[in-house]
Amino acid sequence: MALILFYLRKLFSVIKNEVLVLPSRVVVVLFFLFLLLVPLFTKDTYLLRIFTLTSIFAILAASWDLLSGFTGQMNFGHALFFGVGAYSAALLNKYGGIPPWGTVPLGGLGAVLAGLIIGIPCLRLRGTYLALTTLAFPIILMGLVFAFPNITGGELGISGIARLAGSRVADYYIAVVVMLGLCTIMWKITDSKTGIIFHAIREDELAVRTSGINTTRYKLLAFSLSGFFAGISGGIYAHFMRIAGPSTLEVSMSFQVVIWAIFGGIVTIYGPVGAVFVLFPLMEFLRFWQEYRILMFAAVVLLILLYMPDGLFRWLRDKIEKECPRCKIRNIATRDTCRICTASLD
Amino acid sequence: MTQSFLQIKGLTKNFGGLRAVNDVTFSMERNQVLGLIGPNGAGKTTLLRLITGILKPDAGHVCFMGKEIVGRKTWDIVNMGIACTFQNMRPFRRLPIIANVMVSCLSPRAMKRGEWVKRLEAKAMDALEFAGISDMAREKASTLSQGDLKRLEVARAVATEPELLLLDEPFGGLSPAETDLMAKSIRRLHKGGRFGRLHSEGPAMIIVEHKLQWLMKIVDRIIVLNFGNMIADGTPDEIVKDPRVIEAYLGKGDT
Ligand SMILES: Nc1ncnc2c1ncn2[C@@H]1O[C@H](COP(=O)(O)OP(=O)(O)OP(=O)(O)O)[C@@H](O)[C@H]1O
Ligand SMILES: [Mg+2]
Repeated sequence: MALILFYLRKLFSVIKNEVLVLPSRVVVVLFFLFLLLVPLFTKDTYLLRIFTLTSIFAILAASWDLLSGFTGQMNFGHALFFGVGAYSAALLNKYGGIPPWGTVPLGGLGAVLAGLIIGIPCLRLRGTYLALTTLAFPIILMGLVFAFPNITGGELGISGIARLAGSRVADYYIAVVVMLGLCTIMWKITDSKTGIIFHAIREDELAVRTSGINTTRYKLLAFSLSGFFAGISGGIYAHFMRIAGPSTLEVSMSFQVVIWAIFGGIVTIYGPVGAVFVLFPLMEFLRFWQEYRILMFAAVVLLILLYMPDGLFRWLRDKIEKECPRCKIRNIATRDTCRICTASLD
Repeated sequence: MTQSFLQIKGLTKNFGGLRAVNDVTFSMERNQVLGLIGPNGAGKTTLLRLITGILKPDAGHVCFMGKEIVGRKTWDIVNMGIACTFQNMRPFRRLPIIANVMVSCLSPRAMKRGEWVKRLEAKAMDALEFAGISDMAREKASTLSQGDLKRLEVARAVATEPELLLLDEPFGGLSPAETDLMAKSIRRLHKGGRFGRLHSEGPAMIIVEHKLQWLMKIVDRIIVLNFGNMIADGTPDEIVKDPRVIEAYLGKGDT
């Protein structure tokens, strides 16, 4: 009893001292709670389906940010990882009889392999050259898919694979929990020692080398990690849709990811995740004006990028929080003095 | 035959038709501070880049502590104990200054002494303290002045705890007062010892510099390059009297 009380008090003090002091943290906690509680209020399959897909694509967008935002390796062919994850999971399930909890991580590992295969030739490339080269890889794989239709199903894809879970609600929870977990892991990675090196590689690769860091190893690590997370999202997608088709490898899929990430704000992890949660449902609701859908979508993206070049969520965060000029700790924008060092905030 | 600390033999580098470094041969000892001078475009920066493996030589050898280092990766060379700074500073602009130095602290060489995250930051802080910019540790590197960027370069190099330090124009763009401070730091570093958690091996140094009057006070030997050729090698006193050096700097006919 006393122990329970102790932990309750501890939880309370953490919430009070660590969460409530910053609005962005409150928002994150509310976001977690909201997603976990949605099925209690609605069992509407259409809504749950949208949120499930949104979660799957949120993983994909965050994994792009890890590679291209943080490490600066512009990947315009991120659909490759998604597609490899989806096809690996589907093939393993259909021909290997492995259930989804096995095929999804294995699909992630397949995408790691893809990350290494494209990472090695891309090590020497930078900027536009890297972007164009990576753009080609999913197209090459799509060519292979069409070349071996008796294995891959060609244009129709591999259908009839096992469902992710028994019900829509279970599907929803799997996607949401995996998304929250993986995005937290990605955010932790970027906040770690490895994250500092990723940042530094983006800024100046040569200077990282002369600091004694094996940049080849870290770039390949970034490709593999990003591939792993994207591959998992691809695997979940395949089992949720019960089909792995060539649409997962399309160029428009690669661009979609880039648009999401830039819209939300790159080099943040939370930006791309938030952006998918805004843009993907928006795209669905715009179905009511089917003929103007793409146009409206483009207009929204353009407006945001014109007025918030650092992305929507960075912009929002800077509106509600201020950085202390002295100790660089973030504070709620309504404060006049820093909560740590009491320096004036203006 | 005893092995020299650093031995350079017949080092040559061409850029297209231009021979930037031509058949340079010299060796230096563990306790030396070597000045490398020469007119603009003489090939000084290129020579340093050949040593650190940023550029591959067309011919020649570099032996560091008895091991051939030509053909090795830059990070391997740094982890063997050669650190360098850039003439046109290359900080990680959007990162805080402390993170700039933490990258060096994360190199295998610096990690050998068993650091973990908290200590890592403290060690980076000590490197900044040594360079005299610790009060700006949380600022972004893009906000630094020219002089402070030079000091950041030094802090970054020192954080790998090198045996040989290559400084490319450490006084470039610095005011006289700042130059004085930098010269003091360099001398202190060469003496070796501990600066907080940072350990200085008292590295040997090669210093490229145009401000000769300052350089003379730090170095005990000078090598002069002109059009990629080594034209003189001696103590500072010998060098200022050497007619070939005067000719290289002032041109023919003025002597
Ligand atoms: N990457 C490169 N590609 C082509 N030419 C180069 C390159 N780097 C240097 N050079 C040329 O090589 C020659 C030597 O250059 P270097 O930078 O080594 O001179 P330096 O002695 O450092 O001069 P400074 O005192 O101006 O720094 C110059 O003529 C320069 O134009
Ligand atoms: Mg130079």
